[in-house]
Amino acid sequence: MKKDFWSKSRVVVFGGGNWGTVLANLATRNCAEVLVIVRTEEQARSVNSTKTNSEYLPDFKLSDKIKAVSTFDKAFEAGPAQAVIWAIPSKPTREQAKLMAKYFTGEEILIHATKGVEAGTLKRMSTVLKEEIPCPRIGVLSGPNLAHEVARGDPAGTIIASRFEEVIQSGRAIFTSPTFKVFGSSDMIGVEWCGVLKNVLAIAAGCVDSLGLGWNARATLLTGGLAEMVRFGTVLGAETQTFLGLAGLGDMLATCSSPLSRNYRVGQGIGQGKTLAEVVDSLGSVAEGVYTAESVWQYAQTRDINMPITRGVYALTHGQLSPAEFVKQTLAAY
Amino acid sequence: MSNLETLKFRSDPGVLFSQHAMAPGAISNFEAIRSKVVDSVVERTMNDFSPAQYEMLLGESLFSERRRIYKQKNATLEYLFIRKRIKADEKLWKKVQQGLLKSVVESDRKKLMRDAVTHYADEIGGHFSPKVYNFTTRTLPLAFNWLLNAASLKRIAPWKQVEMLDTRLRVYGEIEHLQRLSQKGTILLVPTHQSNIDSVLIGYIIHLMQLPPFAYGAGLNLFTNPVISYFMSNLGAYTVDRQKNSPLYKSVLKNYSTEILKRGVHSIFFPAGGRVRSGAIETHVKLGLLGTALQAQIENYQENKPNPNVYIVPMTTGYHFVLEASSLIDEYLEQSGKHKFMATDGDEPLILWKFLKFFWKLFSQDSSVQVRIGRPLDVFGNFVDENGRSIGPNGTTIDPKSWLTSGGELKADTQRDQQYIVGLGKKIGERYHRENIVLTSHLCAYSYFRMLRKTYRELDLYRFLRLSLSQRTVLFSDFLAEAVSCYKLVRHAANRGELFLSEELRVLKLEDWIQDGLRQLGMFHESKVMRKQDQTLYTEDMNLLYYYRNRLTGYGFDPLGRDENKLLGEFDEKGFLV
Repeated sequence: MKKDFWSKSRVVVFGGGNWGTVLANLATRNCAEVLVIVRTEEQARSVNSTKTNSEYLPDFKLSDKIKAVSTFDKAFEAGPAQAVIWAIPSKPTREQAKLMAKYFTGEEILIHATKGVEAGTLKRMSTVLKEEIPCPRIGVLSGPNLAHEVARGDPAGTIIASRFEEVIQSGRAIFTSPTFKVFGSSDMIGVEWCGVLKNVLAIAAGCVDSLGLGWNARATLLTGGLAEMVRFGTVLGAETQTFLGLAGLGDMLATCSSPLSRNYRVGQGIGQGKTLAEVVDSLGSVAEGVYTAESVWQYAQTRDINMPITRGVYALTHGQLSPAEFVKQTLAAY
Repeated sequence: MSNLETLKFRSDPGVLFSQHAMAPGAISNFEAIRSKVVDSVVERTMNDFSPAQYEMLLGESLFSERRRIYKQKNATLEYLFIRKRIKADEKLWKKVQQGLLKSVVESDRKKLMRDAVTHYADEIGGHFSPKVYNFTTRTLPLAFNWLLNAASLKRIAPWKQVEMLDTRLRVYGEIEHLQRLSQKGTILLVPTHQSNIDSVLIGYIIHLMQLPPFAYGAGLNLFTNPVISYFMSNLGAYTVDRQKNSPLYKSVLKNYSTEILKRGVHSIFFPAGGRVRSGAIETHVKLGLLGTALQAQIENYQENKPNPNVYIVPMTTGYHFVLEASSLIDEYLEQSGKHKFMATDGDEPLILWKFLKFFWKLFSQDSSVQVRIGRPLDVFGNFVDENGRSIGPNGTTIDPKSWLTSGGELKADTQRDQQYIVGLGKKIGERYHRENIVLTSHLCAYSYFRMLRKTYRELDLYRFLRLSLSQRTVLFSDFLAEAVSCYKLVRHAANRGELFLSEELRVLKLEDWIQDGLRQLGMFHESKVMRKQDQTLYTEDMNLLYYYRNRLTGYGFDPLGRDENKLLGEFDEKGFLV
């Protein structure tokens, strides 16, 4: 690859949520042009005029190089991008990928930062993207990356996993900054599942924390949860090592301790005796972990994988268990 | 039964059984370019390695070659046939040995290396003689038709020949598509491999499809018989010696394949590397040779050749009986299915009478071989349309050049290309399953095995295969019931596009296809694979039953999810939870 390839490149970030915005801003350091696709024309105008994302990251000043657009046509009107960063939730991913397919030339690097799986099929996001978009070089970015902290410039690391060395190198070239370090992995299955499974655990952690059970209970829960993640992941072809790295243990520690995480807050809410519907009302959106717990638990049953915590979270979110019973069943069982 | 005799299913009309001339192709003047091919193979191989590696490579090759020569010299019968080859090998490696013993100043390593590489390249390099080809393609049908009718003595006279070859050798699938693509690029045909008969049969089918002759890698074991060897080596076959496993040899072999693909010579590989031992459809294919297709295409792009693309065409062959089934399945059970890359397998020499016996049986017993030409793929495993364009998801077309461009440059990239080939290999495995034609005999074996397996659920496979005669005897009526439910399974799978049913299965009534299946199943073997007696059904050979039944594994039909250490649908590209 030529040395100045990325510094002359155009990058399209799909998704103007907090993580998408932060990734776009990171990319401006290393790339010539960064386009963010946001939902509405007003949002695009607001981002372009104020250089902030007032909806998600109001206090964070964006780089002048960022340009927000609201349609695919506009994003690709100046020609194909060298890289596309996929940062929208898992639910609309397939549908949006279908629409975006025709804008791809096949030369792009496609990196997604979506921590979720397709409901029902349990397909990983990279599989969904591969099925819909004629672009073979796909990678995933995942790690302990709470968007606000990365935006503030606190030191953080992340993992980009792909079967293609080229994707990892490109991801490194696009996102690396003095405070943001990018590591590589070839275990895409593992990294994607880490990002998915830890959401379930965050719900459990939120619940246990809100009951005021102390560090021992918390540590027991997280350790058991990690073991569950490994059991499940290896059945699906992931490598155990991955779960002990940044994307696994790293992400889990951050998500399960931070009140910034939506999943954690769902757990907290339920721990305080609210129903799922009430918590969701107050949060404004459902956390991925709720769907994940259901699909993962169904799948684990068919494969006979021992996952007491996931089963507990599934029952908890469906009102079949009270928080106290949940603790009794999951923690006392160890 | 009346049904069976009057209904004659025939091949796709795109397959021309009447006499026709050889279609011209890049291989027609192969003799003229052969020396050039060999030269560039040598150059390529020399460039694959740095001078610093020569010493090590030569040493390694010398070691493995001397072992091989020693082993082959002691295999008396085989040695008789390949004496000439071995003598030449010995001479070369002696020279290498003497050279390596001297210092670098006294003997040039590069020259030794070149000698060894040239020796390999020359051995691998095939020949093609249009004369032999024309002779063969004219005589074979006559012989076949005669054989076909000789089975019934009444019809032996030429004017009474009513049976035609096209009812026995039935070819279906994307024939026209393949014919068109062969004009637009280089075809790499990748058939499933069950029997030594495959190479001969496929070569003939290619002629029937009016395609130019294909080059193919044939195991050295096929060259041991002088008669077959004569035909093989003049019909475009190049030699693959599985006993040679030095990195140097593999590199020469790959370069030969790349070189002929680049020159537009259509080729055949058996991507599984050898005959499949278990009887199942191949899921894992070897990637080494497959990678040469991608390599050739990249180089063609770089050199701006007119028809740069290589198209991969999967093909499946369905046999009611496989000559070598018995030894294959024994080997499989012994090794539990593992065989290493180009492992030195016990490929038995292809004996002429066996070969004739196969065709005799095929014709005399009213049996058939069914072949399906699969949907063509590009080098990444994408489907290709009639004009040779790669089709992407959601109605997009793919420019393969863009997939091969990294950082703005079109070039080879070892790690990237390896991943593409992994993807292609997976896709071929998946296509094999989908293009598979289920024969009546397969379904009979599958149903019977399944019902037994349900009864003896708790036994592991090896104990299960040793059931006593009384244990494995079942009521015929029970078998019928099981066959009905298995038929539903495959019927639904066929509707979902996961496999194809043979015409017999699609058209005939239950009793008729079962009768057909029982009669045809492994009819060549000494022990009957399934025998109906009065109202009972039993097998004389559990291993053979297992072999034929395995053809329908890999579809998630099994009642035991954990069968063969594999969870149901594990790592299944078709999706989870099926």
